Amino acid sequence: MSIALLGINHRSAPLSIRERLSISCGEEEKPFEELKKIPQIGEALYLSTCNRVEVLVNMNDAEAGVKGLKAFITAHGNLSPGEMEKCLYVYRDEEAVRHLFRVTSSLDSMVMGEPQILGQVKDAYRLCVKQKASGVILNKLLHHAFRVAKRVRTETAIASNAVSVSFAAVALAKKIFGALNGKRVLIVGAGEMAELAARHLMDGGVERMIFTNRTYENAVRLANDFHGIPVEFELLDEQLGDVDIVISSTGSPDCIISEDMIAGALRRRKNRLLFLIDVAVPRDIDPAAGEIDNVYLYNVDDLQGIVDQNTQGRLEEAHKAQVIIDAEVEKFAGWYATLDVVPTIVDLKGKAEEIVKGEMEKSHSWMKNMGEEERGNIEVLVNSVVNKILHDPVVGLKKESRNGGADPYVAAIKKLFRLK
Amino acid sequence: MELIFFRIALVAYLVSTVGYIASLFAGRVRVAKASMWVLALAFALHTVHIVMQWIGTASIPSASIYGSLSFIAWAVAGSYLAFQTKTKTQILGAFVSPAVVVMMIAASAGLMDEPPIPAALSGPLVSFHIVLLLIGGAFFALACLAGIMYLVQDNLIRGKRVRGLSRLLPSLQDLDRINHLCTIWGFPLLTFGIIAGSIWARTVWGNNWQWDPKQVFTAVSWALYAAVVHQRIAIGWKGRKAALLSIIAFAGLLFAFIGVNAFFVTMHRF
Repeated sequence: MSIALLGINHRSAPLSIRERLSISCGEEEKPFEELKKIPQIGEALYLSTCNRVEVLVNMNDAEAGVKGLKAFITAHGNLSPGEMEKCLYVYRDEEAVRHLFRVTSSLDSMVMGEPQILGQVKDAYRLCVKQKASGVILNKLLHHAFRVAKRVRTETAIASNAVSVSFAAVALAKKIFGALNGKRVLIVGAGEMAELAARHLMDGGVERMIFTNRTYENAVRLANDFHGIPVEFELLDEQLGDVDIVISSTGSPDCIISEDMIAGALRRRKNRLLFLIDVAVPRDIDPAAGEIDNVYLYNVDDLQGIVDQNTQGRLEEAHKAQVIIDAEVEKFAGWYATLDVVPTIVDLKGKAEEIVKGEMEKSHSWMKNMGEEERGNIEVLVNSVVNKILHDPVVGLKKESRNGGADPYVAAIKKLFRLK
Repeated sequence: MELIFFRIALVAYLVSTVGYIASLFAGRVRVAKASMWVLALAFALHTVHIVMQWIGTASIPSASIYGSLSFIAWAVAGSYLAFQTKTKTQILGAFVSPAVVVMMIAASAGLMDEPPIPAALSGPLVSFHIVLLLIGGAFFALACLAGIMYLVQDNLIRGKRVRGLSRLLPSLQDLDRINHLCTIWGFPLLTFGIIAGSIWARTVWGNNWQWDPKQVFTAVSWALYAAVVHQRIAIGWKGRKAALLSIIAFAGLLFAFIGVNAFFVTMHRF
């Protein structure tokens, strides 16, 4: 039996290839049906997020199983074998476990320490259980992974700093406003950073997102993506008074939001705090607006500065997390190794129990003349002797299996005790 | 006998302080919540002590500086516990509880020999006057503390220095809310405290106002707080300006309560 993990992530493959792999699997149940068809695979977990597609399996025959999986991925991912070789990574046994722990603890994410991945793995596992695609090994492995993720999150500070610019913007918003519920966001323009920040803000629980753009259709498109409201560009000034957070990211060569506009907005807001994020280059918002009381203005350089401050700290925390993960991988490996010997131990103890039972019955004729208490004592004595005799071989077997060399001992015990 | 409650309360305040500061550095909310319960216990014990003293002497123990310190500590702890149920931040505890401990330690220096209170100064009206002013002062102290933290956090965020201290401090909006609530709750207490004092003054000296320096400066502080309340409610001042004004107003109040005695001759015994 062995564990394997195959997949592609944001580092090994560009988005276009990742999309092909996940799209072709279509509805949720399909990957599992296909995976079950591969004969060597006993249990399987399928994980698909915007940054990775991975399959985690427990299989009987390692080589054939991996071949079957690769064929599955090539067939369903619309990948050419060449593309697949370049992008696909294969982890086996301990490395597979280590990779899973890293992924679940968000060490492998694009933004290290991000909280979504744990939920995504949990969802994938839930689906796996629903499809009855998991068994003893994967159940234990996934639950262990969730525990490891929790350890990493509580024992290191990896989750507390923001690495990406948009993440930093949202963390700042929380520093200014506390909770984000009930807050309104205005997004001017479009662009990857603005959209990422919008997504993080949405996850943070803002009440309303308003989109505006020189080209109204773009505002409508974004509004649809984020369940927000599109607004004509001419109404920008008006909107400023109604929102708490403004993210500006247009291609305009000049400032589109002036100091006066902000001052007016602040008056209309009765001086409630206002957070302006200007990710445009060249800048969209007049820097003087940031000097106004109760207005906080951050541009790309400011945000990047925070990110740089945090990256060093995050690397240290990542190292701590890796240490935790390595220790947990060893624990799991220890458990996994004892699986070899468990059936043998069960058989051995079973045989001993049968022998005890047989002899007790044979002695029934002279034992029945004794008192009940004495009979009980004899039974306890006999069982105690048997357990003590078996104790050393059983413990020794487990120890050998942890060291990886249990096979000769298992064979010897099976032969000598004539177990089946 | 009642001193035993004081002593246990002091120990409990100390434990709570340690807990709050530990929670600050460990970043664990549960520790802070536990510290809050310890603080509540300390406050309850302290209340028993004060009540017992009140029953014994029929007035609030504030004839001496020690008794007053104990009472102020009690008021600060009580007002903090009262309003922290409204706002979610626990962090203020880490600043309030050490202050309470310091005051209690100072108070314990002379608590055993409380001088007897002259007849003129005992009675419910005086007690009201003192209690209202001290509790109001406690709220304003908290407001001032929140104001200072606001200015610090505001400075850090504007200066783009958001690692370290900024992470420990609550958000700007939370701090502003604390400042707002404490000012709103403290102001009526201050007002009624002054009124109670002036009514009592009439019974003793025949008129409501003596132009005593302490009265004058307290009135000045009252005016400053009235300005804060007005600006906040009518004009919608928030954030930096409100924080600044509440710090200035509290400085005035401190001077009126304590500083005046050093510079002027006053009829107020305390």
